[in-house]
Amino acid sequence: MRASSLLSESLAVLGKELTSELRSRVALNAVGLFALTTLIAVAYQIGPYKIEEADRPHLLSALLWIILFFGATSGLARVFVKEEDARTAKTLRLAARPLAVFFGKLGFNLILLLGLESLVVPLYCALMSYTVEGVAGLVLVMACGAVAMAASSTMVAAIIARASGSGTLFAILTVPLALPLLVVLIQGTKAAATSAALAAVIPALRAIVSLAGVTLVAAVYLFPVVWHD
Amino acid sequence: MTERKRFPWWPWALFAWMAVVIWAAFFYAPAAKGFKGESARIVFFHVPQAWVAVLAFCVNLVASLRYLRRRDLVDDARAAAAARLGLVFSILATVTGSLFAKVMWGSFWNWDPREVSIAILLLVYAAYFALREAIPDDERRASLSSSYAVLAFVTMPFLVFVVPRIYWSLHPDTLINSRGSIDMESRMFQVLMGALAGFTGLFFWLYTLDVRLAKVGLRRRQREES
Repeated sequence: MRASSLLSESLAVLGKELTSELRSRVALNAVGLFALTTLIAVAYQIGPYKIEEADRPHLLSALLWIILFFGATSGLARVFVKEEDARTAKTLRLAARPLAVFFGKLGFNLILLLGLESLVVPLYCALMSYTVEGVAGLVLVMACGAVAMAASSTMVAAIIARASGSGTLFAILTVPLALPLLVVLIQGTKAAATSAALAAVIPALRAIVSLAGVTLVAAVYLFPVVWHD
Repeated sequence: MTERKRFPWWPWALFAWMAVVIWAAFFYAPAAKGFKGESARIVFFHVPQAWVAVLAFCVNLVASLRYLRRRDLVDDARAAAAARLGLVFSILATVTGSLFAKVMWGSFWNWDPREVSIAILLLVYAAYFALREAIPDDERRASLSSSYAVLAFVTMPFLVFVVPRIYWSLHPDTLINSRGSIDMESRMFQVLMGALAGFTGLFFWLYTLDVRLAKVGLRRRQREES
């Protein structure tokens, strides 16, 4: 009963986020255009032929995640910053319990990240002639990576929304937390690009899932504190 | 009649201990084999500094968790003091590590996994202070920075223990190597243990001073407000 009401409250928060985003499209435009601009700059300057064949799997995986990560940071903080800017945070505090707010906002950021990945990855593969041997492995790495990244960035967004200069702070606070995740994501993407076997991405997947798990557990414990202070 | 203050003997004992450690590092421990010249002597300073940087991170976590439970601003002052010292010791560990890297491998920075992990630890500390600077209200600053400290701590084991073991590393074996044994000449080991104890003592002395200063500041502010 309690779990189902938490789920329905979370879905209501997610619905509110999606409706307000579809109305304003601020985060969608920011994330999408930032990622596309970075992708075009990278593709124009480096292109498919400027990297040595032996270095391609590693360098192209790293470049892909740099584009995805910096594209994502331009919009993920908005879920909480906009509530403080529009002074709607207090109403939301009264309307939903903290964990429902967290999971609703996390769901929105996850959808945003998955949307960004589905837009950028095929374009990147086409523009950079990036061939991926293990498509299933890459999909798994991308999906788990999105969960882990959404978990930490939603929590950081909640923290910085209550501080001044929140836009700049988001990048400063997220980058050190995301770096270990980016390291394993790049490893996983490289493994998926070079091997068709799903087993090749398992070590990276284990690390990504563990990181996502510990971040989520910490966020569930910390979010009510951050939200109510 | 005013109470006579006790003589603080232990900072002097610490001073003497550190003097002996510095002397022993240069004159008692032999030069390590397999390293250029006397370069390996930096281990007696670099390893304890890196250890203190991680210890400070743990103290910061404990104080942050205590603040979140008890809501006492002194715990926040403890967390900030530990982070401040952690930042200083991570800078020292990075600088001494870079000097060793220049002598051994020819360049100050090689993007070795251990170099990267200490650099990220430094970034985490810097981000923690950037967050604190951005929040003027004491209570909110304490609660948000404590939350960030806990969140940052959960990613640290990956950086400090997992990532350096995934990648091939130029870095010499840690004190307890990958085979689970200690492979160090006995006198070097004695000096290193002494240095670890000395640097830990130095950390706790500086930490106590910082917390005492913060307590005085808090009390003065409370008096002004009342």
